[in-house]
Parts: sequence; structure tokens; C-alpha cells
Amino acid sequence: MGELDGRVACITGGTRGIGLGIAKAFLAEGALVVVNGRDASKAERTLAELNAGDRVHYIAGDVKQREACEAIVDGTVAHFGRIDILVANAGGASGHAPIVDLTDEAMQDSLVWNFWHTFWTMRRAFHHMIPQQYGRVMCVSSLEGKVGKPGISIYVAAKHAINGLTKSAAHEVGTMGITVNALCPGAIETDIMMAEGPPAAASMGMDYQGLLNMFAQESSIKRLNEVEDVAAVATLLASEAGAGITGSLISIDGGTAPY
Amino acid sequence: MGKLDGKVACITGGTRSIGRAMADAFIAQGAKVVVNGRDEAKGQQCLDEMGAGDNAAFYAGDASKQSVVEGLVDFTIEKYGQLDICCLNSGGVLNTAPVFMMTDEEWELEVNWNLNHVFWGMRRALQHMIPRESGRIIVTSSVEGKLGKPGIPGYAATKHAVNGLVKAAAREVGTLGITVNAILPGLIETDIVRATGPDSAVAMGFDGYDALIAAFSSEAAIKRPNKVEEVAAVAVLMASDAARNMTGCMFPVDGGTMPY
Repeated sequence: MGELDGRVACITGGTRGIGLGIAKAFLAEGALVVVNGRDASKAERTLAELNAGDRVHYIAGDVKQREACEAIVDGTVAHFGRIDILVANAGGASGHAPIVDLTDEAMQDSLVWNFWHTFWTMRRAFHHMIPQQYGRVMCVSSLEGKVGKPGISIYVAAKHAINGLTKSAAHEVGTMGITVNALCPGAIETDIMMAEGPPAAASMGMDYQGLLNMFAQESSIKRLNEVEDVAAVATLLASEAGAGITGSLISIDGGTAPY
Repeated sequence: MGKLDGKVACITGGTRSIGRAMADAFIAQGAKVVVNGRDEAKGQQCLDEMGAGDNAAFYAGDASKQSVVEGLVDFTIEKYGQLDICCLNSGGVLNTAPVFMMTDEEWELEVNWNLNHVFWGMRRALQHMIPRESGRIIVTSSVEGKLGKPGIPGYAATKHAVNGLVKAAAREVGTLGITVNAILPGLIETDIVRATGPDSAVAMGFDGYDALIAAFSSEAAIKRPNKVEEVAAVAVLMASDAARNMTGCMFPVDGGTMPY
């Protein structure tokens, strides 16, 4: 018997990295899971890897579009009949530069990708969760939602905004059986990190390995985090025991964030 | 297969409420547990209720005394051969008085129970865990470790101090396979709270115990107190292999009370 038997989860950016790790953990606990991603060929690989038959379903869509965000949530309800758990996980940032050189487009893109996507999916999920008086919303934020580093302000600002949204949302739905929390992982070497890490590092005046070393060194464990670390916390929050945990910005960062 | 198969835990203040819920949850996940409490009879009753046979033991003593806390750690290692999970959970509001009225003696009692007990237990446990390069220290802190209410300065101060101790210790042993974390519960109607709550309510200016519960609940997004099972589930996560990369964490279980 799993901790999430019969629960329906929707995970944006669920075909790779942290989202995929959370999908695996939820499936192992008995949930039905929708994974979203942009790329159908990657999705095929993901579905094969998850090997969960009709307990997992893929919905294509680019979370930078509001219509897609709403379709992912509504599609979850259409396919599995309800939505109990939303993991707003997709995100990243490209076009890093020090603020003095930063373009509007880079800031806009990061806010849409990270923050607006979280808002769009959360709002839509609430339309389903409030009538059923049950829900678990998890926003995959970041250590950088609590602290800030030079050169990556587009990411830092968007993740801080997610944490603020999380806190307000938690208070709005706190008596409706719905919890809203932010997961704040330290650096993890996901596909996104490998793609966006080198330009981010350049914007910070270092190379990619230097960036990874910096994240490891500022932690207590002196190494990077892993997707499974985040998945374990997500599973706890999604479980019955998570009913009393809301509005929390939970650090999963090997002892890096100061609070 | 449990998440804590083969692990050995000790829990200060483990016969009732939060500590007891941790003990039950750990045993359900395959761990062996030594629970500590002051009262021999309650200890025996606790063991009877848990029904875990050889997988549970009781160690009597007042957790605000150094000899007891260190004795618990040593007893656990002697009994089960190792200590993997040290839960420093005992504590509470011992004295309710505004700062200007608090005596040195009252202050010292509070510091011994909520802060020194954690230090003594953590130090002793780490001396065992560091050579093994494996371990989990889990400290029961409180929302008052980040906030602070009038009338309970000793509690607020010691819980803040405990959080600092956890962060520092996490950095000291971060590369040694040992994690040090704090759980910060909101108000829970434990036996301790039921016992000391009425006096606390008066000292904090509330119109009785129910008003105190209502005030704490109203601060939370969920508008209710928390439950011991919610804290225990977080303790299981922290104790498990899955949380090997989570340390120095102040994990709230407060229904959305704390602002950060």
C-alpha cells in the first residue's frame, strides 16, 4: 500500500530532472501521474523509463504559454478525473547577464518560465481543488528563492517571486484542505543545469565547473544535491501527514541557505 | 521493508506526544528505539502500548540533566550496539513570566531543559557518530525558534538558540555522513501544552487556555493546531537515507505560521 494510492498528480516539466524524479517517487507510492514536457520524443523516453502503463500520462505543452498551462491542468482532470497534487516544476533561465547589461527579454522570459507558469497552473488547479476541498500544490523553487547571487538576477528574482506567491496562496486556501509549499533545492546537475549552467557561470565570471564547485563549497555537505532528495520531500508533502505543512519554503540544499 | 530497517534511535521525552509519535513511526519503519522520560510508570505504560518487544526500551530520567541525556545516548549504544538517530525532543515552556520578572533560577531551568539538553545529547551522540561517519541528529525546535511571544522569553530564546546550534553543527559534520536538522512545529495540543498552557495563557495575557489555542490557530493558514503525526512523518524523512543531503534545515510543521 502506497502513501499516495489513488491520488492524481500533475507535474510540469516532468520528463526530465527533478520532475522526473518526483514522478518516479509518486508512482512508487501508488499515485496516478501526468507528466508534461515540450518535446514528444523525450516524452517517449520518459514514459518508457517510468514503465507504469496507464498510471502515467503525458501532456505536451510549453509552460511559457498560459493556454498550455491551463490545458495541462485541465487535461489531468480530463484524463484521470481529478487533480490532487500539482507540482509546478518546470523552470530555468537563459540570457543571464549582470543587471547593468540585462535585456528586458531575458528578464521577461525567466519570469514567464518560472513565475507566471507557476501562477497559471496554480490558479487553474485551485479551480478544481477548492470545490473538492483537497489539494497539494508544490512549487519547485530554489535555494536562489531565498538568497541571491550576482549575475543570475533573472533566476533569483523569479524564484523569490514564487516563494512570495506560495506564502500568500497558503493563507488563502489554508482552511480548504489545500496546502501550498515551495521546495528550495540547492544546485543539482540536471539537464537544465548542464544546458543553462555554462552561460550562467559566464555571467558570474567563472566557468561551469567553478560554478558547481561554488555551490558545493557553500553547502555543509560540500557536494551537489540530487533529484531524489527533492522527490522524498515532495512525497512527504503530498501524503496525509503533509496536511499540516503549508506556506513553507523547505530547504533541500545540503545546509546552504541561512534560513 | 521499512525506511529505517536496522537503525537505532533514541528520543528524549519519548513516552508522550511528539516524541512518542516519533517512536511509533520509527518502529513502524523497522528501527529499534529507546525512549526517555522522567516517570518510570509512564515509561512502562509506553512500552506496553507500543508492543514492540525487544525493539523498544525505556530509559528513565529528567532530560534537563546532563547525566541523564548522556546516559540515554550511552545506554542506547550499549543496548543496541550503535546509535544512528538521536532525537532531542524533550522541552517545553517551563516558566511563564515577562523578562523583568524572571528569576535567574527560572531562566537556568529553561536553558537546561530546552538548550543545554540538546547540546549535551548532540555532543555525546556526535562523539559516537563521527568515527562511524553516519548519523542523524533531529532536534524538536518550535515556531518560537523563529518568532517570539510575550510571556515566554525563556522558551523563545532557547528555541532560537537551538536553531543556531543546529546550523553550526550541520556545517561541522556535513561531510561526515551526519545530518543535523530541526523540526519547527506550530502549536500542538500535547500533554505538556495541556499541563502548562493555562499558566502560559495567563502570562501571555490571554483569557484562558482556549483563547491561547485560538490565538495560535488564528496565526496559522490552516487555522488549527498541528498534530504529532505530522511532526513524526518529517522525523522519519530526516532519519531515512532519502534525506542524506538535507541538513541544517529548519523544517516547519506549522500550518503556515512562520513568515520565513
